[in-house]
Amino acid sequence: MKDFEKIGKKMPFAENEEYVRQLVSNATEKAINQPRAKVVALRTWIAAAAAVILLLAGIGITYYNKVAVNDPLVAENTEAPVEQFLNGLTDEEVQLLAYYEIEEIPEYQ
Amino acid sequence: MKTEKEQTRLQQMLADPQQRNEGFRELMKLYGEQLYWHIRRIVIGHDDAEDVLQETCIKILGSIDTLKDDSKLTSWIYSIATRESLTMLRRQTRLFQSIDDLRPTLANRLEAETPMDTQATEVLFQKALLSLPTQQRIAFNLRYYDEMSYDDIARITGKNVNTLKSNYHFATEKIKKYIQQHTS
Repeated sequence: MKDFEKIGKKMPFAENEEYVRQLVSNATEKAINQPRAKVVALRTWIAAAAAVILLLAGIGITYYNKVAVNDPLVAENTEAPVEQFLNGLTDEEVQLLAYYEIEEIPEYQ
Repeated sequence: MKTEKEQTRLQQMLADPQQRNEGFRELMKLYGEQLYWHIRRIVIGHDDAEDVLQETCIKILGSIDTLKDDSKLTSWIYSIATRESLTMLRRQTRLFQSIDDLRPTLANRLEAETPMDTQATEVLFQKALLSLPTQQRIAFNLRYYDEMSYDDIARITGKNVNTLKSNYHFATEKIKKYIQQHTS
């Protein structure tokens, strides 16, 4: 050991005591102001859960739309009331509607 | 190293959420500098040492709840710093490369960061240290620079006391041999 003691325990680097002290102080304050690991984990968990919910909702909506296009029953249910009424008319009724003239109403004459 | 009483007081402050930040400031005031130099001796580069010190601080503060009452505070913070330093070195290795393979890189880094007016013997001694396998180098540093007991080094490195004693002996012999080879 005595051989090494002659060389000394000083490290051959330029950083002096004051510089290292400041460095340690900065690292300490940064660590204190850093959000706690538990908080970070909780935030990550919430973000992951939200992402999964959005993904599932997206898949669900896409699936429902596909089913609606292929299934006439579902497709009918998604039609607007006017469209439902028009689709329910027979050919004769449609013709009557097409040739309907307002003059034929006596009250307006 | 500080007294047992001081360590216990610090440990109590750190365990109390109300006093934790103040306790941590005090802890780093007491051990921060020696922790930086411990890290620096492992990773050699200043920038790396700065990053590892920051990460060590975050880990210490973040896992303070896992510190058991009977654990020694200094050994605990040193073990975190050692682990973080090794993680930093591991990140610098390529595929199938071990940390020990980084020795030439670390030697180059040492030369690059050594001021021009440094004594040749100091540099030679550091190079001799870098010729040791990493685990042996860490054990040697803790014993030689930090003047720790073998029990404390065993707590930090997770190695057996007898293994550490023989490691230290072999490391000393290797360093002497290296210095002799490079001075004659």
